[in-house]
Amino acid sequence: MDIKKSQQDLDTASNEDANSTSVGRRDFFRKTAALSVTALAGTSLLSSNAKADDPAIMEPQKWGTSWGDPVTKNLYGMPSKYEHNVTRRYTKLLASGNFRASIAVTPIQESSGIITPNGLFFSRSHGGVAHIDPNEHRLMITGLVEKPIVLTMKQLKRYPSVTRTHFIECPANGGQEWRGPQYNSVQFAKGFMSCAEWTGVYVKTILEDLGLKPEANWMLAEGGDSSKMGRTIPIDKVLDDAMIVWGQNGEALRPEQGYPVRLLVPGWEGNLCVKWLRRLDFATEPWYCKEETSKYTVLKPTGKAIQHFYANEVNSTVTSPSPEIDWSDLEDGDVVEIEGLAWSGMGTITGVDLSFDGGKNYVEAKLKGLVLPKCWTRWSYMHTYKKGEELFLTSRAMDDAGYIQPTIDQETLKVGVEAVYHRNAVETWKVEKDGKITHVEIRSQLDRKPNGELVIEGKA
Amino acid sequence: MFKLNKKLLISISAAATLSLGLSACMESVMPSSETNTPALASIDGGVNYPVKDNMTGPYHVNPQVAQMKIFNGRVPTEKEYEEWNSDVMPDGTGLPEGHGTAEEGEEVYEAKCVMCHGDFGSGGGGYPALSKGTASELHETLVNQRIKPDTDGPVRVFGTYWPQASTLWWYIKDAMPHPLTDSLTDDEVYALVAYVLNINEFEIDGEEVDEEYVLDREKFLKIKMPNVDGFEPNIDGPNGRDNVRKYFANPDNFGAQKVKPSERCMHDCQEPTAKVVYIQGVGISDFHPPLSAARDLPVEESSSEFNVEKAYTESCAMCHGADGMGAPVVGDKAGWAAYMAKGIDKVYQNGIEGTDSGMPPKGGADLTDSNFKSIVDYMINKSK
Repeated sequence: MDIKKSQQDLDTASNEDANSTSVGRRDFFRKTAALSVTALAGTSLLSSNAKADDPAIMEPQKWGTSWGDPVTKNLYGMPSKYEHNVTRRYTKLLASGNFRASIAVTPIQESSGIITPNGLFFSRSHGGVAHIDPNEHRLMITGLVEKPIVLTMKQLKRYPSVTRTHFIECPANGGQEWRGPQYNSVQFAKGFMSCAEWTGVYVKTILEDLGLKPEANWMLAEGGDSSKMGRTIPIDKVLDDAMIVWGQNGEALRPEQGYPVRLLVPGWEGNLCVKWLRRLDFATEPWYCKEETSKYTVLKPTGKAIQHFYANEVNSTVTSPSPEIDWSDLEDGDVVEIEGLAWSGMGTITGVDLSFDGGKNYVEAKLKGLVLPKCWTRWSYMHTYKKGEELFLTSRAMDDAGYIQPTIDQETLKVGVEAVYHRNAVETWKVEKDGKITHVEIRSQLDRKPNGELVIEGKA
Repeated sequence: MFKLNKKLLISISAAATLSLGLSACMESVMPSSETNTPALASIDGGVNYPVKDNMTGPYHVNPQVAQMKIFNGRVPTEKEYEEWNSDVMPDGTGLPEGHGTAEEGEEVYEAKCVMCHGDFGSGGGGYPALSKGTASELHETLVNQRIKPDTDGPVRVFGTYWPQASTLWWYIKDAMPHPLTDSLTDDEVYALVAYVLNINEFEIDGEEVDEEYVLDREKFLKIKMPNVDGFEPNIDGPNGRDNVRKYFANPDNFGAQKVKPSERCMHDCQEPTAKVVYIQGVGISDFHPPLSAARDLPVEESSSEFNVEKAYTESCAMCHGADGMGAPVVGDKAGWAAYMAKGIDKVYQNGIEGTDSGMPPKGGADLTDSNFKSIVDYMINKSK
């Protein structure tokens, strides 16, 4: 009997244990004991090469032989000090001189599942991270409502809460790479986003009681930080799923996420999810805030720019392997899981395809775990690695609104290369012969017709 | 103050129609219960998940909530409302009376803005440029596309790109200067706006905005932005939201692709002209901290103690390290002597609490009082 067989026996024993209350503890232990005997018999399968003995097993470790910390230490727990490289990161390219109007991005190469821990959630601010005393913070709701109100944080949290899991993505995610790849890093190429479980109140729940006037078309959301970040949001979204949130992954929002309260506009541009929220105002005409005119608008080849571009479109990326965590340690024949994320601000992910040749041919990858609306979705594909192979890994996601990720050519022919925001064309990682990973793009050279229209150079 | 408190006044009146508005609006966006198909396409081109059988998508909802009236909080006072109601809309709602010239604006600019936005708004240090020249001409660059290596891109600054001047007034008043916001008077804002119009070489009503031009509310409302029609869809007026809805119903408008899953391309999906494009040169690798996936112990900082020189460089040198920032420059003996005349305690206090003339509290840095004072000492010692 080999070890594998014994494992099956154990599974059977466990199943019996679960299925029948008549199987007692003694029965279970008897079977486990039998397993131990067969396991011993299996020692003949083990290597007797003493040189290969792993000191991590052979040598007693100090943490295995002496006391650890008392529970009185670290009353708010922190990650192991060995995880110190798993952090947000920043680059001067994306910062004003003093990092107050800037971004620090999420290490999605190290993310597991669909939740970003609060300390790693990407941090973007326009006037620095404000540290607000919740006792001195108010939320005022005014304009075209029958009854304007001002709320303390305690009063706000008295409204009935809802909890939803949604990603937030900066629409500039991937926005430095319209004209070619720039970052050999998935953290910087795709990490302007994170995903969390949010708790708060639907704006519509509060408005139900305040009475929104029929002529209200737009809502201004404004922050109480030094930038007074503001955005105009159409009433349609306000009455659908917009929330005022105070909870993030089971605890209060972090200051970087707008403590004590922020707006959450599921699936829409991150900057609409105004942090440090202090004011909602309702009006008939839109406001034209700075961050919805000078920025966060998409300039097309016609010279016209899309204003009020709301939803982050369907998107995906391979997160494993990545330039950060590559395959250079794989052996020929190793079976490895290619893994990634897919997300859509327009709905729910319905499928992800994976290409090994840069998006020429695709196979279907498998979705994993929970698949939720406007939320990160995990996908994977099992692969047997051949030493020395060159691959071009490209993922392509679809959503239930009917959208599929475009090729780079499809997207740039329509919106050009000066859009800055909302780039969701497929992304490609090249697996080099040595297992290292390089960020590449598969695209045609564009040309321009006299009328300004973009065309592919050399295409009949 | 000119600002009418129209919105609030309307709001408090007519309590009799309470909440009718909401239900009317809800009907227009919610699905009809018979068919469960939305009466209208979603405004963003996506799908939504209306509540059905007490579920929205995969989430349960508590149906009791919709049947209750909850009144938390209180009605704000008129003064509270005014204090926060600082927005300025394109039609002039919220824009106060006031005036200023470009010349006055330049003075404020040189004192409080030039360190980030550069000489004549030319930009620098990662902060936005305010002008690149004659806006009405540079507006034409917005069709530029850098599809080949040596082509010029579009110029996107206030004068060439922004659709509304109201945005500039509001933004300067509320959010500038960046280290000390909401600190300018209305007249100073008019003056700065006049200066920004001046460096963008604007005309108002056929008249050049030169150094002596006095900008006031009436003239401000006559500003014609070169790119006022440069945006789509049209969000103004009664059809604004419908225009957005129609715009995002057409994937071609925003570079999206729609396809039935069964009909999606699985083979030969790239253009035959598509090539592998690599990162040019070394690409961007200015990452902090450097990329690493190692599980090791963090390298101990060479000295975990407070490093005064390092702190000065990080938090103070931007303004105290060079001329023209309005701050006493390190090494300028006479400059510092003038401040020292008030006594070192006053210098400490001004630094810790900040001043109206532009010093942010502790320079905007997160420092203990004693560490902050040691940087002040460091700067003074360097200026003796």
